[in-house]
Amino acid sequence: MEKDKEQKIGVKTFIAKYGVIVGLVIIMVFFTVMKAKFLTVENMLNMLRQTSINGLLAIGMTFVVLTGGIDLSVGSIVGASGMFAALVARTEVGMPWYLALLVGLLVGLLLGAVNGVIISYLRVPAFIATLGMLSIARGITFMASDAKPVPGLSKGFLSIGGGSVGFFPIPILILIFVLIICYITLYKTRYGRYVFATGGNPTSARVSGINVKLITCSVYMISGLLSGLAGVILTSRVTSGLAQSGNGYEVDAIAAAVIGGNSLSGGRGRLWGTIIGFLIMGVMNNGLDMMAVSSYWQLVIKGIIIIGAVMLDSLNEIKE
Amino acid sequence: MKKRLIGALLVVSMAATMLIGCGAADKDAKKESNTEDTQTEGKVKIGMTLYSLKNEFTVRLANAAEAKAEELGIELVVYDGNYDPSTQISQVETMISDGCDGIILNPQDAEACAPCVDKAADAGIPVVGVNTRVKSDKLTSYVGSIDVTAGEMEMQKIVDLLDGKGNIVIIEGPMGQSAQIERREGIQNILDKYPDIKVLAEKTANWSRSEGMTVMENWLQAFDNIDAVVGENDEMALGAREAIKAAGKDIPAIGVDGITDALNAVEEDNLVASIFQDGAGQGSKAVEVLLDAINGETVEENYWIDFEEVNKDNVEEFKQRAQ
Repeated sequence: MEKDKEQKIGVKTFIAKYGVIVGLVIIMVFFTVMKAKFLTVENMLNMLRQTSINGLLAIGMTFVVLTGGIDLSVGSIVGASGMFAALVARTEVGMPWYLALLVGLLVGLLLGAVNGVIISYLRVPAFIATLGMLSIARGITFMASDAKPVPGLSKGFLSIGGGSVGFFPIPILILIFVLIICYITLYKTRYGRYVFATGGNPTSARVSGINVKLITCSVYMISGLLSGLAGVILTSRVTSGLAQSGNGYEVDAIAAAVIGGNSLSGGRGRLWGTIIGFLIMGVMNNGLDMMAVSSYWQLVIKGIIIIGAVMLDSLNEIKE
Repeated sequence: MKKRLIGALLVVSMAATMLIGCGAADKDAKKESNTEDTQTEGKVKIGMTLYSLKNEFTVRLANAAEAKAEELGIELVVYDGNYDPSTQISQVETMISDGCDGIILNPQDAEACAPCVDKAADAGIPVVGVNTRVKSDKLTSYVGSIDVTAGEMEMQKIVDLLDGKGNIVIIEGPMGQSAQIERREGIQNILDKYPDIKVLAEKTANWSRSEGMTVMENWLQAFDNIDAVVGENDEMALGAREAIKAAGKDIPAIGVDGITDALNAVEEDNLVASIFQDGAGQGSKAVEVLLDAINGETVEENYWIDFEEVNKDNVEEFKQRAQ
């Protein structure tokens, strides 16, 4: 009798904890059955390459969400950093590709740092501060480009988003590299523990000697830096700097983090969940396109998945 | 007693200042409108609201309008509607109270921007629509291009290229926008005539290059018999071409608008052609028509600026015009 009950809770916990993985598997099986060409190495690499941009944003978003914050400015930072990188990467400027990459990363880091300082030291709520940055960064992008595209980028720069090592597209390699670094940072360092502690209970974190302000500031810098990287990859992929780049990407990044089971109130979350989150979104987009499903239905299905995943997650909370 | 007296005095003096203040403000206002009147007698002032100033096409349109206004010696104030009909309505209200003699309207939405025309008509100010449609019978005149024609032109070009037989994919604009609906209608008009042209898939990429690229990548995985790509604008067609090139294939693509990147692409054989929409022509024509209307001359209901095909032979000419 007693054992039965334990078993039951076990199943429920399992669904709540690992339901998203089961979901991803079910979706993949469905597409494989419906479309023979879905589960091929070529298409999987294609899907991962498309997902890498949202993946980078979602990883940055995970750090922010873990501290109980939110970053609405990632899409605009993608636009700004991509545009400045493009301006440097033009063939006529004659700069090497890594300088353009560096410019993109620095613009992202700088805008993220502004977010962080405003939120942690000037005490503006994250929602408001990053909403402001969403507007400011987009405005700067338009000023830098006059709403015109910036084409004619150097070959080296174009290979960041378009090139591959062996048969592995470079954006996927970058994503994997970033994932490894972020995994180590979050789970194997003191800094990572501080991030979790800051989101779980800021007051007790402060009492136990953690510099909560510095930690809070730093997660927005991480999010900004990764947005900058995503901006460089996106610009390189579409082979020109476009002022509208990244518009609305914050929604997909937040959705991926949430689908993965990261609580928006902070402290509770997991990096692997985010990975499953952005994979689900990438697989859905790719598979539905291949089945030629109409755009209207794609929007509805995306919404259902976001809500469904959080419902799964709330099973976990009820139990606790 | 003394305190109360001081209090009463204070109240009186406050009331007095308020009254005097009001009077002064009234006088100022009158003075302002007087100077405005004299100004309008000397120089015509017009306002222009564009659904956005954040894409190359509308910027080109606005620049041409500004150049035309300068040439005709009239004052033009340009507003960015920021993809929002309610912003455009407030801007029209501002123009009316600002004493504009005429308004050029490039609406984001045909239905939601109708109040812009109503408000101006109530104030007795002529409104010339440009580039995108607004549903109103009070519009003084409309300057634009027929998007159905653009759809027909690009589809016909692809039909000719494929000799009337083959498989195509269509990348659409934001669903429900007038340009998307009308260009799609034009594409369909031609498709109806050629039953051997099969549409494998169609999806919106919201006029965006990166979305166009993603959609095309997925279609390339799903179908290996695509013969051509029809994009409802250049950005999406260019995105599709990036995906095609990355896959090591060479599937022809066509777009509409004739943006700078597309003209370069046509020159480099990267796009088959682009259907050039003469934004500059629309912008300067709108200013001319509006000035005629302000001067009391009769103007026609519609002025059509033709779409033109840009191909490798004539691309040089268009590059100069797009400057």
